[in-house]
Amino acid sequence: MSKRTETKAGTVSRRAFLGGGATVVAMFALDAAPGSKMARAIAANLPVDTSGGPVNGWILVNADNSVSIAFGGAEMGQGILTGLAQAAAEELMVAWSQVRTQVAPTSQSYITGGSFGIRANFLKMRIAGAQAREVLLAAAAATWGIDASACSVSDGVITNTVTSATLTYAQVAKAASALTPSASPTLTDASKFRMVGRSMARLDLPSKVDGSAVFGIDVRVPGMLYAAVKNCPTIGGTLARTPATPAGAIAVVPLGNAVAVVASNTWAAFKAASSLSVAWTIPTAAAQLTTSTISAQAQTLMATGTAGSPAAERVGDAPGAYGTAVTRIESTYQLPYLPHVCMEVLNCTASVTPTSCEVWVPTQAASWVQATAMAITGLPASAVTVHPTLLGGGLGRKIEQDYVSQAIKVSKAVGKPVKLTWRREEDLSHDQYRPMGLVRVRLGADSGGRLTSIATRTVAPSPLAQRGWMAPTGNDNVEGAEGLPYAAANRLVEYVKHPAAVPVGFWRSVGNSINCFAVESALDELAVALKQDPLAYRRSLLAGDPRTLAVLDRAAADIGWNTAPAKGVARGIALSNGFGSIVALAVEVSQPTAGVMKVNRVACAVDCGLAVNPGQVESQMQGGIIQGIGTAFWGQTTFAKGVASSRNFSNTRMLLMKETPSITVSILQSGLESLGGIGEVAVPPTAPALANAWFKLTGARLRSLPFFPGANRMDD
Amino acid sequence: MTAMKYNVNGSTYQFDADPGMPLLWVIRDIIGLTGTKYGCGVEICKACTVWIDGSPEKSCDMNASEGVGRKITTIEGLSATPVGVRLQNAFIDCQAPQCGYCQSGMLMAAAKLVTSNSKPSDAQIDSALGNICACGTYPRVKQAIKKATGQPT
Repeated sequence: MSKRTETKAGTVSRRAFLGGGATVVAMFALDAAPGSKMARAIAANLPVDTSGGPVNGWILVNADNSVSIAFGGAEMGQGILTGLAQAAAEELMVAWSQVRTQVAPTSQSYITGGSFGIRANFLKMRIAGAQAREVLLAAAAATWGIDASACSVSDGVITNTVTSATLTYAQVAKAASALTPSASPTLTDASKFRMVGRSMARLDLPSKVDGSAVFGIDVRVPGMLYAAVKNCPTIGGTLARTPATPAGAIAVVPLGNAVAVVASNTWAAFKAASSLSVAWTIPTAAAQLTTSTISAQAQTLMATGTAGSPAAERVGDAPGAYGTAVTRIESTYQLPYLPHVCMEVLNCTASVTPTSCEVWVPTQAASWVQATAMAITGLPASAVTVHPTLLGGGLGRKIEQDYVSQAIKVSKAVGKPVKLTWRREEDLSHDQYRPMGLVRVRLGADSGGRLTSIATRTVAPSPLAQRGWMAPTGNDNVEGAEGLPYAAANRLVEYVKHPAAVPVGFWRSVGNSINCFAVESALDELAVALKQDPLAYRRSLLAGDPRTLAVLDRAAADIGWNTAPAKGVARGIALSNGFGSIVALAVEVSQPTAGVMKVNRVACAVDCGLAVNPGQVESQMQGGIIQGIGTAFWGQTTFAKGVASSRNFSNTRMLLMKETPSITVSILQSGLESLGGIGEVAVPPTAPALANAWFKLTGARLRSLPFFPGANRMDD
Repeated sequence: MTAMKYNVNGSTYQFDADPGMPLLWVIRDIIGLTGTKYGCGVEICKACTVWIDGSPEKSCDMNASEGVGRKITTIEGLSATPVGVRLQNAFIDCQAPQCGYCQSGMLMAAAKLVTSNSKPSDAQIDSALGNICACGTYPRVKQAIKKATGQPT
């Protein structure tokens, strides 16, 4: 293990970051991530730390001529730490072996979500790298008394092209740091990229194969105590009275809707928390939080619709065109609440004193952690230090502040550093779930089979509304229904907010995971009704969108759509466009025993504009498809009077290696101008591709997720 | 509390612990080797896999007292074995880990498999690696095991 990432537990303070022989040679500004509704809501309403001015990052040159690239996001497996380093290193013109990364200070962090990492930061990281290269070259040129244009650079070594003398970046970094970088440095032409677009080795992997990687749960602080939580089993319930400190525990800390037990190690805390007899005050409204009741409410809301609310998308007259259509499909699809299931359970370590607060945490939102700490402790930003760690999975769950707030409150109460860890049972039964959904799709086609109208109505609870980030008549959960690539003159996308109080949040691919299943299944149903091949029918609707068509065609070609499948095997196809990328999946399924689906093969094609690191794009596709299969088969949390069904992996089944099909990934590159996100896009088309293939195989249409809720058990 | 002596990765550790504490938490909280991971506590996910006298075991399912007098190997000790290093390098070459959280358990299971079976088949790899990975690294983990054993990937 020769090379090791610098990304260890804990941010260094700015002073420490600049120390150790490093010299700042460039500073660059990162704006708030543009685009989605979620991003706009974040920008408009959230306690984003602005005390540090614009969100910034730095590139440092170290004494050994390596460079440290500050990383302000969350590395939760998606490889963004490496991808952004590639962007800066490309322009810096250093060798990959010279690249280190370092966690940026909180004021320089960005919220990791919405597959924005590359889209929002790629250009800015390139500018930072280019700025650094230009001032380094200028400093060398000044030393030699020549023009910078007479200098060349390779692997961090600058050559005087007149005399062949050389200087390293490290030798001129001090002088360079006194120069003012250009606001618009010269960027490398995309045709000359030598690092971007290649599968550079991930910088975080050496530490992930020898046990040295530090996730939040691995943080150890001197004098630290350990806490476990017992959250109220019923949604909305609160602690009636603080229980006595049980044997083997040091303290019990009331937390409103939960109670924490503090002990001298994790196991003692777990044991004491689970043995605790707690009196809770349960609101009467909790009785309504039962899955059958929530589903019945959804049916009612579907029927009543959204009178008075603006449609999320309205083109032409979809209801009118549907009414006069020759062929019509109306189908309603049902989706469950879904837990995130990060392998690293929620945890947070906090050390609160009267004058300071330090937090070590696996988080997708370091700046929100700082705001959380400030609100609880009353301390100013300058007294709060957040050390974001590696994340053992994030998936949208670790953007939340519930576990962070608990740890800070417990440390404040006991006056010592505390590592608070949720047992797996707490993690699964107190998630902020992917919303349940009921989606009705109406498709109308004319006598020639042409799609004339497409109308979707999505009934689902709103993560945005639950956080107060959305107007009462706003639309949520419409991703995957709005902006569809298929040609249809009349379109209507409606959202109906479901009021159920089950906590919902942001789950990998958000609304796309709901609507793509409905839309891609319904299109299949229409193709069947029209007696057309599902691929050919989709192709006919994409004639005006060659980019999307190319992706669809590639997946179809990779699965061999135009050849007959083996006996007992059937194929399905589905398409998704979200986060600026396009994904098509073609799958083969079989039925080894009655009622059991086996996924034999998956062919994935993706166009994310430019694949900064194709190997990582492939990884994200493989991983998203594997998560997509597991959740399509078994994923759900149900509720009985406000109590979640999910307990542990015993009733939360995950796809295993032996169940994983062969997956091929083809990457189409439409160019740097259409850079798209990659972390979430493979999940949405997986369930509909499977359902479509299953229909072809068995004649049975799967309109409800999960497909096999009764098979959700795992054992050792 | 009981005084105990452990041999972990060739080093000796002496400490007092509740004999009922799972081995997982002895390793993580008392000895301080945090590469072994908690994932479920109920013997399903296998993130906590270590070797006991050379056999892969789920450390959440063993009591502290059962670790006494045994030779315990954790992910931090894997680099001391030639098979371990070969696998670690192959995991990096194939860029297998994503978030990395389950990879310690994956590697401990894989290293045991390769120690006893120099050319494991796909089915044998599937059977030996029942570890849960939420990122979906399975294709690349399998590829890495094949690469480490000189088999076509």
